[in-house]
Amino acid sequence: MKKFYNDIADALNMLSSLERDLNIHNFSPNELKVFHTIVSSEVNSGIKSNITDVVESSGLSRSTVYKTLRKLSNQGIIALDQSPDDKREYLITFS
Amino acid sequence: MKNLFTISLTSFVFSSALWIIWFFFVVQIEGNPNWIGSLFYLPHAARVLCVVYFGWKAVPALFLAELWGPDFSIFDLESLINVIPALISVLSVPLALQTLDWFGFPLGNTSASPLNKRNYKHIALITMISAIYNSLFVNLMLTKFSMSSQEIGIDQIVRFFVGDMLGTAIVLLILAMMLNPLFNSQKVN
Repeated sequence: MKKFYNDIADALNMLSSLERDLNIHNFSPNELKVFHTIVSSEVNSGIKSNITDVVESSGLSRSTVYKTLRKLSNQGIIALDQSPDDKREYLITFS
Repeated sequence: MKNLFTISLTSFVFSSALWIIWFFFVVQIEGNPNWIGSLFYLPHAARVLCVVYFGWKAVPALFLAELWGPDFSIFDLESLINVIPALISVLSVPLALQTLDWFGFPLGNTSASPLNKRNYKHIALITMISAIYNSLFVNLMLTKFSMSSQEIGIDQIVRFFVGDMLGTAIVLLILAMMLNPLFNSQKVN
């Protein structure tokens, strides 16, 4: 079984380095949830999500999503661009 | 033959789980257009990860999962010829590893290894080459034996390639996020 566990450890090492390079290794549960929601929504719909989409899909409160997005934006992981259609809304893009 | 049972069980469960999750999303988006699911083909991640980390021993279980996955039954096979695309898909990963080996990049697990299984960029390279083989050979097979009801063009080959790449990337990203507490606990310890 030692070889099997070593193989699993190699896979975990690979995932850990991916996580480190993506700069998501220090995410709090809320940040992980928001990040996961943005990725899933962009993959499924193929369009950039806005803050309202993230609030609806994540089930988190609007203020939590705002705070989390600001934090992710300050860390340079995402960028918040004003929507050309609705000046009150922000579109989320990956930096 | 050491660990064959453990490796087979792990590979089969992992691959089947990805098939079920992928089907769930395909049903959720109501398959409109009907090829949309092939744009994020999650099961390719199981082929890549299991063959890279467990080697040839994972191939039989992956093949079985591949037969079971599309219909959730292996008893619906009308002809033996129908199993060949599934076999090609599974073998695309060992073939990619063999190709890299021929070019002087054998697989290892240290930083000195030309192809390091602990480096996700190398995993991405293996995924890319296997996706090329899978998209080319499976579509060639489907065309040769007229197994597809639709006409197969370059768009389908590109779609298979993109789907395998994107599907593997999604699985790796989600696994990395899911295992975040484990990595953080290792740092604390």
